[in-house]
Amino acid sequence: MKPDEEEEIHFKGAPVSEGIAIGVPVFISPPKEEQIPEFPISTGQVEVEIERYRRALSSSREDLKKLQFHLAEEGSSDVVSIIDAHIQMLDDPLMTTHMEKKIREMLQNTESVFKTVLTDYEKRFLQTPDAFFRQRFDDVKDLSQRVLRNLAPHDRFHLNDLPPNSIVFAKELVPSDTASIQATRVSAVVTQQGGGMSHAALIARAKGIPYVASIDVEAMQNARGKCVIVDGLTGDIIINPSSDTLAKYENLRNRLTNQYQQLEKDRTLISETVDGFKINLFANINNINDIDLVHHHSSSGIGLFRSEYLFLHEKQLLFNEDLQTQVYEKLFQKAQDLPFVVRLMDMGGDKTHELFPDFQDEPNPVLGCRGIRLLMRYKDVLRTQLRSILRAGLKGNVKILIPLVSDIQELREVKNILRTIEADFKSRGIPYKENIPVGCMLEVPSVVMVCDTIAQECDFLALGTNDLVQYTLGIDRNNPSMSDYYYPIHPSIVRMIKMTLLEAKKYQKPITICGEIASNPLFTALLIGLGIQKVSCAPRFIPIIKRTIRRTYLADARQIADHVLTLKTSEEITQYLLSKLDS
Amino acid sequence: MVKQLKVKNTLGLHARPATMIAKILQKSRSHVSLTYKKETVDARSIMGILMLAVKKNSWITLTVEGEDAEEMIEQLTSVFESAFGEKPL
Repeated sequence: MKPDEEEEIHFKGAPVSEGIAIGVPVFISPPKEEQIPEFPISTGQVEVEIERYRRALSSSREDLKKLQFHLAEEGSSDVVSIIDAHIQMLDDPLMTTHMEKKIREMLQNTESVFKTVLTDYEKRFLQTPDAFFRQRFDDVKDLSQRVLRNLAPHDRFHLNDLPPNSIVFAKELVPSDTASIQATRVSAVVTQQGGGMSHAALIARAKGIPYVASIDVEAMQNARGKCVIVDGLTGDIIINPSSDTLAKYENLRNRLTNQYQQLEKDRTLISETVDGFKINLFANINNINDIDLVHHHSSSGIGLFRSEYLFLHEKQLLFNEDLQTQVYEKLFQKAQDLPFVVRLMDMGGDKTHELFPDFQDEPNPVLGCRGIRLLMRYKDVLRTQLRSILRAGLKGNVKILIPLVSDIQELREVKNILRTIEADFKSRGIPYKENIPVGCMLEVPSVVMVCDTIAQECDFLALGTNDLVQYTLGIDRNNPSMSDYYYPIHPSIVRMIKMTLLEAKKYQKPITICGEIASNPLFTALLIGLGIQKVSCAPRFIPIIKRTIRRTYLADARQIADHVLTLKTSEEITQYLLSKLDS
Repeated sequence: MVKQLKVKNTLGLHARPATMIAKILQKSRSHVSLTYKKETVDARSIMGILMLAVKKNSWITLTVEGEDAEEMIEQLTSVFESAFGEKPL
């Protein structure tokens, strides 16, 4: 290594969110312990303090529930169960009755009582000779910090006030911090705690902000750098980069930016192959704001709206037809005349919900009461959702998709309920949209095998490959020890896709593909070659998938598909597709 | 009612088993406690159970007083027996 004028310091962390940033380090310190206020209270104030404490517990519970829900969507059962333990700990008598008793006895403000009580718990934990159990205190500490933050929610720094091109260094960021970060001012985030599955990580990825975790922030601060490079793909952090390093990374960043700008330029182009074969590109969305992106990328419509997200923040919607109708109306209006597929509430499995407590402790939730099965047990919820969609349907081009169908009877039952609702609307003179198409998710192997009968009775089909792979291979995709056995593609899945496409064509029913396969450019040519004409993926993948489509020849794609159908292992398929991608 | 239970899962009574115990007891009105090495904690308290630091193959004493004592003992015995659903490492 040649000596440098400036001392360049390298750190290596855990890459969390991709991208390269070059900027000015800004260190954000957490609220210091000394800042915890400490003052006596009168007996008259006791109830006020206790009430304040209870509110902090309940806000903490809501934060954790939201976090858990988002994590379930990403598929991380380990973290979900940790969060579950935190939620349960909020009901721990040591947190509830014992704390309230202490507030009454000590006659001090809640924060200081809380601190005293936790110091006491910490002492007891640290007495344990076993290191494994001593470390369990980390969970208690994590939770107590959350509660403290909720006791004084306004004392937080504001990430909005940072100078442009800041690179934020912090011990840890809570979700609300990350949510308030603006990509225009913050170029990257570096933290000591948190990781790939933290809520902060999800938000950073969604905002396209590079993020590296597991970095000793204090050591960074001591390095007193004026300029810092963050590579969110490799986890590299370079303080005081030499001019050579700086040039190298500026180059790399510009290449990425160019690529991005190129993709942005394509946004109004049609999604079609080189030889003019049109592929409709739809978006999977979770909320109303995503519709902006649908228009921005001139996407063909909404291929999958995950309606369960509506009920996450507003529980009263579940049983309130008028309110729910208004929400759908807003969504459909914003989508204008674009096709809008509403997938009926898909709860259960790894997405638990406090409103359905009976199904929170299933021994095998992925094979348990989820999707349409859960709606069949809670028919009021199903009816309310269908009625609202029918009424709001007048404002848009809506279709209804049934999640996790495993038997044709489920489709028939939903159609029966729809007929009853229509008859009721007619008799009462309530306006509604007639003949809304009803489709089935094909994500359980049983309905794939009988997709000819399904295709005859429904109006459209949607292949959900993530669950289909998990059920076909018999691999729990959330089980980390099984990840070696889980492939996004498998010869069996290729044959299943082929089979469903043939049946869909035979009965002239449109079919869309969604899931990991749809959002990974590696598989795009294969899907086109198999005969897919409608692809649905998260809005952020639309530009790259569109570009891949626009570089594919239909004839090549067909050859690729024919060859893949002869391959015998996932590994062979992946290797072959990679070789085609490079060529 | 009192019963001795053996901890069979590899990691002992850590957060996840303690959470399972607390969840089972949510439905019960009985007073339930766990005793280990002369220390007794409320079985509904995850933190309390963690502080006991119970390792694999230890015996703990379960004490239940209340209307559904028998049922609670049965349910808790069954999760202890199943090693809290943990696969051996």
